[in-house]
Amino acid sequence: MASDSTRTTWRLDTVFSAAALALSAAGTAAWLAGWVLPQETLPMRAAMLVGALIVSGGLLQWLLFRLMRQEREARRYLELLSLADDPNSPRTPSLELLPKLRARSPWRQPLSQLTDALARNAEHIQDVEHARAALEIRCRRSAADFARVSSILGGVPEPVVAVDAYDEIILANAAAQKLLGIHEGNGRSLSQATNCARLAALVAEMRRRRTRTQRSEEIEIERPGGERSWYNVTVTTIPHDAQTPERDSEGLQGAVAVLRDISAQRNIQRRHAEFVSSASHEMRTPLAGIKAYVELLADGDASDEETREEFLGVINGQTDRLQRLIDNLLNLARIEAGVVKVSKQTQSLNEILGEAFHVVQPSAEAKQLEFVSYLSPMYLGVLVDRDLMLQTAINLLSNAIKYTQPGGRVTLRSRMLDQQVQFEVEDTGVGLSAEDCERVFDKFYRVEKDQGMAQGTGLGLPLAKYIAEDVHGGKLGVQSELGRGSVFSVTIPAVGRSLDRTGTAGPQEP
Amino acid sequence: MAKRVLLCDDEIHIIRAAEFKLVRAGFEVECAADGQAGWEAIQRHKPDIVITDCQMPRMSGLQLIERIRTTPETADLPVMMLTAKGFELSQQELLVKWNVLSVIPKPFSPRDVLQRVQDALKTASVAN
Repeated sequence: MASDSTRTTWRLDTVFSAAALALSAAGTAAWLAGWVLPQETLPMRAAMLVGALIVSGGLLQWLLFRLMRQEREARRYLELLSLADDPNSPRTPSLELLPKLRARSPWRQPLSQLTDALARNAEHIQDVEHARAALEIRCRRSAADFARVSSILGGVPEPVVAVDAYDEIILANAAAQKLLGIHEGNGRSLSQATNCARLAALVAEMRRRRTRTQRSEEIEIERPGGERSWYNVTVTTIPHDAQTPERDSEGLQGAVAVLRDISAQRNIQRRHAEFVSSASHEMRTPLAGIKAYVELLADGDASDEETREEFLGVINGQTDRLQRLIDNLLNLARIEAGVVKVSKQTQSLNEILGEAFHVVQPSAEAKQLEFVSYLSPMYLGVLVDRDLMLQTAINLLSNAIKYTQPGGRVTLRSRMLDQQVQFEVEDTGVGLSAEDCERVFDKFYRVEKDQGMAQGTGLGLPLAKYIAEDVHGGKLGVQSELGRGSVFSVTIPAVGRSLDRTGTAGPQEP
Repeated sequence: MAKRVLLCDDEIHIIRAAEFKLVRAGFEVECAADGQAGWEAIQRHKPDIVITDCQMPRMSGLQLIERIRTTPETADLPVMMLTAKGFELSQQELLVKWNVLSVIPKPFSPRDVLQRVQDALKTASVAN
């Protein structure tokens, strides 16, 4: 468009110039004609006047033309300037490329001031653009950092939730979202987001502190499934903003809470306390017997020799009982703690079972029980500690004998399974209920109704289980029917006779 | 007339020692091995005092005491408790609630038990 008007201007100028020239030529010609042509043809003065008018008209046109040319140039210059300003134009010239105006043009000063102003503006815009680009990069980097921190915290299994000074949640990892029920849609305040009032209260309390501090507290929290668990909650205060540690109007800081599930720990503590309680109870009973009879003897209540013998017998028996209890307890504790040196060797399981059978046989005969063994004809090679495995077999056999009525039957069997070796003790005794089947491996657990049948410490089965499972990597299981009998079976990995993995015949480290 | 004592405990030696002492002191003693047998013994022949262990099969000592106290005929029967376990507070309240005369910890002294029984029955006969 600019070029159109420029061309139009040019055309007008051209017309005007041509006309001016033509008129001048005509005027000159007319003036000359006055000289050449006879006086009568044209009034002389009139011709000269016309000529003069035409000449001056022509001159005027020429002057106008010159003035317009300056205006044209100025307009052209402005058009170029506006192009320079328009980023979309394909021909945006650089400000430096604009033609210099003529030194004497009256347009020169305002136009060059305008040019300078535009140049400064352009520079300023460039600076702003640079700043914006840099800011955007920082912003993206910051977002990337935050995403990285979030995903790192996502890998932390402990719930972590952080709030700022306004109690708004600024970060909650996946575990925290799951436990406390915080999700994006929630109200962003911690006290609104979680149902655990104590947690929100603790965080709020910490936020009011004046300095950077940390505090831990055990809080019971309801999990999404409904069950309540104990957590150790550590709350640390954080400044409102890492750059400028300001506080909000009430002087509160932000805080981050890290939760650790201690239900397993508490469980262990509770079971330990129960164990100690049970153990001391078990020990007091034989002691009660000993003390009572000692006192009776001291008071001379045993008037005859027979009674005295009886009392002394009881004291002796109870002492033995206490001794056995303490031995079993220590044995179990030491094996569990890994203090007992376990030395495994490859040997025949049948050989160990044979000896166990032999050891308990007298007590089976004393109760008139049918006591048989069906050991596998195959070689059952196992990598075991002989004493411990013997102990296990004896425990199971003597339990079967204890809890089977006279006239019943106890059977010992062994067999080879695929990659494993198994032995079992079956009895036709009192049997166990389904619930007792589970609890019978607990320390000191003895089925109430059967306690009268035999003496027992309640440690035989836990010990057998520990030996079979933890020491030898096997399994001890029970199947039973109340009133009909039980089958306790031990399964352990088999080793071949030729592949003596221990390498030597001597005792091996586990 | 000799005073009758009922002893309930699943540990035979405990029973035997206490029985021996009480019999020598002139009491009539009946023994039961668990709470259920103890209750049946009370039904057959009401004793003058009951001494029972806490942990027993079939019916525990506390359950037996509750049964005794909630039955009108036996509600005022003097009761003492033997126990090997340390007592928790809630059980302490239960004792006050059920009006148990003494809680005797194991290991116990037969002399001590005899003394308590004699004191308890003296008080009871005075009250009667």
